[in-house]
Amino acid sequence: MASEFELSRNITIGQHVPTGSFIHRLDPRIKLLVFTILVIAIALNTSYVGNALGLLLSIYLFWASKIPVSYGLSGIKPAIPFIIILAVLQLIFQGNVFSGGKVFFEYGFILITSESIRLVIVSAVRFVEIILLSSVLTLSTSTTELTHSIQSLLSPLKKIKFPVHELSLIITIAIRFVPTFAIEMEKMMKAQASRGADFGSGEWWRIIQRTKDMLPIIIPLFNIALSRAEDLILAMESRCYTPGNDRSSYSVYRAIGRDYLVLIIGLLFSALLLFYRFPY
Amino acid sequence: MSIIEIENLSHTYMKGTPLEHKALKGTSMMVHEGECIAIIGHTGSGKSTLIQHFNGLIRPDSGKVVIDGVDLTKKRIDIKGLRRKVGLVFQNPEDQIFEKLIGDDIAYGPFKLGLPLKEVRERVKWAMDMVGLDFEEMKDRQTFALSGGQKRKVALAGILALKPKILVLDEPTAGLDPKSRNELLDKIKFLNKTENLTVIFVSHNMEEVAYLADRVYVMANGTDVLSGTPEDIFTDKEKLQLYQIGTPETVQALYRLKDLGYNVDTSAFTISEAAGEIIKVLANGEGENRG
Repeated sequence: MASEFELSRNITIGQHVPTGSFIHRLDPRIKLLVFTILVIAIALNTSYVGNALGLLLSIYLFWASKIPVSYGLSGIKPAIPFIIILAVLQLIFQGNVFSGGKVFFEYGFILITSESIRLVIVSAVRFVEIILLSSVLTLSTSTTELTHSIQSLLSPLKKIKFPVHELSLIITIAIRFVPTFAIEMEKMMKAQASRGADFGSGEWWRIIQRTKDMLPIIIPLFNIALSRAEDLILAMESRCYTPGNDRSSYSVYRAIGRDYLVLIIGLLFSALLLFYRFPY
Repeated sequence: MSIIEIENLSHTYMKGTPLEHKALKGTSMMVHEGECIAIIGHTGSGKSTLIQHFNGLIRPDSGKVVIDGVDLTKKRIDIKGLRRKVGLVFQNPEDQIFEKLIGDDIAYGPFKLGLPLKEVRERVKWAMDMVGLDFEEMKDRQTFALSGGQKRKVALAGILALKPKILVLDEPTAGLDPKSRNELLDKIKFLNKTENLTVIFVSHNMEEVAYLADRVYVMANGTDVLSGTPEDIFTDKEKLQLYQIGTPETVQALYRLKDLGYNVDTSAFTISEAAGEIIKVLANGEGENRG
């Protein structure tokens, strides 16, 4: 009850928690690269053992970066409804696609097999792993570091005239504003609640009413977002930001021994997930 | 009779996360019905957290909060009733305007109370009168085309339309031009003195505090460190320096005169009193009272 309006506590993406750990001090480019490869490997691995390993690794990374795992887990909370809906839909509709293995249940078009159950469990665990991994990445890396590394990792694409800088800027701004808008939304909910608004207290099937209840928050939030965007444009222009210009960087990253070590371990782990055929 | 009673109140944000932050550490406060209270203090001293307890947006972690007989430490309370009694105006309240027309936006609160249309209309008219907006002329105007000062008046009217007993304002004049600022201060004073609303406001502007407040609470590091009438606070030079509280320009001018050796009463902080003191000095002739 005390945290009825405390939205920002459940948003772990986009927050930066500087603890100065080993993970924090890694070269952000290497960190991002290993993260990307790991996510791909996890997304493609369909075995129980492989995903259990992935889960263990993501929890280990929290420990290594000295950020409480409970904080990362609280970031999963808002995603739980999606995970459940996804699981139910997969259980009902994917039986015919993943029809291998033992058949547990068959009724009309619903077919539940050991393979489709595996898909459901593995996708849920995968979801958790990916949220945890992205949380570690963003909690241990400042947005500036992230932009620089996105830009440098994508820089080969400049050869084919891909707008690398613009893309990395868009990503940075998007990530940067997640907690800001959570705070704005919190403030707006409090302000409207002070005027007698209540949210989420109506019956859940009255979807239209409940959506209407959200309008006093959504409309001002749009206004705030637009005016923030305008402020941002002015701030960037007044510092002579010119799109498409070549610009040098204030911070120069130099990968050292431990960065390469992490890269190699990350690659080996991903290769294990991708190519080793786990028995379960 | 005290309408707000706060004892030893503490609150921690983001409890159980690495970003945990203790905003209030054992604050106490007592407000009587019909008073006008100013809360001053530096950024991060816990003012905003404190005032959000007044209408139950934040429930007390520990300590006692009783608002007009409602004990907020109890689990089951009539929270909507409480929010009707305590009108809370946030910083930059113009952000919360969402309807297309002024009248509709002010009517949002009363409609949420489930009042009949006629009553809602009367309340909107009354609230617009209170803030100095002409009902017939302004009710069907578009909200987005208003100036900053007018938007703030609309937002304030939106709260007043709930007919609260206690009005709480977080930096009500921040970012307004001097004319709108003075207008708004006069409206608040009128609401307090004539409509008998209990008013509590947070401010960084000491002229405002001197003009409006019956009593002042000074917050620092999550506790109330000092309280008293503006006269008590603004004449306590030691404490002013200790907590780095600013003083109204009138007080500054009088202290300056006193330092130069003129015999002035430094407790005269309202503009007319201070002017009186200065005239006295001028009338006595230059240098006559130098010590």
